[in-house]
Amino acid sequence: MRGIPNYESPVKEARSGLRDLEQPRQRGFMVEIQGVSKSFHKTVKEQTTEVKALADVSLSIRENEFVSIIGPSGCGKTTLLKMIDGLIPYDSGKILIDGKQVTAPGPDRAVVFQSFALLPWRNVLANVEFSLELRQLSKEDRTKTARDYLRRVGLADFENHYPHELSGGMQQRAGLARALAVNPSILLMDEPFGAVDAQTRQLLQEELLALWQRERKTVIFITHSMDEAVYLSDRVVVMTPRPGRVAEILDVPLPRPRVSEEVRRDAKFVDLTNYIWESLKKAMEIHN
Amino acid sequence: MNSRFGTNLLSILSLAVLWEVAGRAVQSTLIPPLSQIGAAWWKLLVSGKLLANLSTSLATLAIGFCLAVLIGVVVGLLMGRFRAVEHFLDLYVNALMSAPTTAFVPVLILWFGLGIESRIAVVFLFAVFVIIINTMTGVKQVDMVLVEMARSFGAREREVFFKIMLPAAMPAIMAGLRLGIGRAVKGMVTAEMLLTLTGIGAMIMQYGASFATDSLFAVILTVLLVALITMKAVQWLDRRLTGWKAEIAIE
Repeated sequence: MRGIPNYESPVKEARSGLRDLEQPRQRGFMVEIQGVSKSFHKTVKEQTTEVKALADVSLSIRENEFVSIIGPSGCGKTTLLKMIDGLIPYDSGKILIDGKQVTAPGPDRAVVFQSFALLPWRNVLANVEFSLELRQLSKEDRTKTARDYLRRVGLADFENHYPHELSGGMQQRAGLARALAVNPSILLMDEPFGAVDAQTRQLLQEELLALWQRERKTVIFITHSMDEAVYLSDRVVVMTPRPGRVAEILDVPLPRPRVSEEVRRDAKFVDLTNYIWESLKKAMEIHN
Repeated sequence: MNSRFGTNLLSILSLAVLWEVAGRAVQSTLIPPLSQIGAAWWKLLVSGKLLANLSTSLATLAIGFCLAVLIGVVVGLLMGRFRAVEHFLDLYVNALMSAPTTAFVPVLILWFGLGIESRIAVVFLFAVFVIIINTMTGVKQVDMVLVEMARSFGAREREVFFKIMLPAAMPAIMAGLRLGIGRAVKGMVTAEMLLTLTGIGAMIMQYGASFATDSLFAVILTVLLVALITMKAVQWLDRRLTGWKAEIAIE
């Protein structure tokens, strides 16, 4: 029941329209999350309590699909992303990528972090090279690849700058270049634009879409911004507060390529954004 | 930088003038005028006595401090990295950090005799604990997001350590070295005064006992100069290794 889009909304009939416009390759699912649960142990004054972060989460994602996961703070969406990356283990259930269970980080996945996670002692070029250093590439190839991706994210002229010399938006471009440089098939983005100002955020969203259109990757995008989720995604996953469960999965019936100004005025965009807000509110009320 | 240098110079000059005037006014061996101290210093320098003693002292300082850096950084890294090592050692490190190191001099004499080994041991003990504690703190304060980032890109433990933890901890390690070199100079003079009278320490004791205050002050000023120069050398190294940190701090 949960995890299956069974909602009553004006966008329901439009869903089939999406499939026509944006036919995903019918070759099964690339990422399969099956009944995953996770608890943390919190110790306060020698009293250990178990905090349930995620409960029975199921979600399947197609190759080259752009999926956003949205939910209130503390719903475990970042935890879920880290589990897909293999950074933290899950208690029960299964996470499969191309049919293989995730046990550790792998070369098929790369993460873009909310706080950028750039190394302050390295310049931009060396930061992008970092992800390549761990892949046994020659110094020459590393520099060449890093420069190539810096150019794609518009940082070609800033390779000698240090992170603290750059704006938040530019730092995240570097973070994106570092992730893309290893050519992952799945891009895991953890509220990547949460720490930049509103204008930059919108600009980065457009650039990300343009990049995604060209590079064609599977993207799992964590956000708490409803219009960001709708603007970018093929599907939006709405989660409940802790313990995080999948409340709803919504198709986004907007044609691509999406031009920001047009899309945001589109009635379907407005309806869907409002619907997600209602859905989030409902999920939060149930839990409060 | 320039205005700072100017202020420094002004500070030294005013102290020098004050000293000279006071020395001439008081007319006592207790406060010899600065010019007299300068003359004494020159005499010690020309006779070769100062340099001979200084080189003995500096050899002790160099060996003792290098050992302290080597062992201090390694132990600090291990304590910062592995909780078990920290819990095993932090009791002793904290106790020895605050204990008056001079109290161990008799023990060191028993263990190492009265030669240079004992003096090196004193310098080492003066410097090592502050280096250990700073290094450990530096490793423990590494931003875990950076570690997570490295792991997500497939870094193994060794790579996490050398590419993330060590460079991230470098500013704290260098702060430990700065504190350590100051303590090492103290250790050097203490050892030379308390163990066997050698080097600079011996000169201080000898001139102090014979009321040769001009020579005494000349030697003391030399010690201050050594402390200042070694400190500047460590600061230079610090800027070379962690320039990125200083720039962030300024902003």
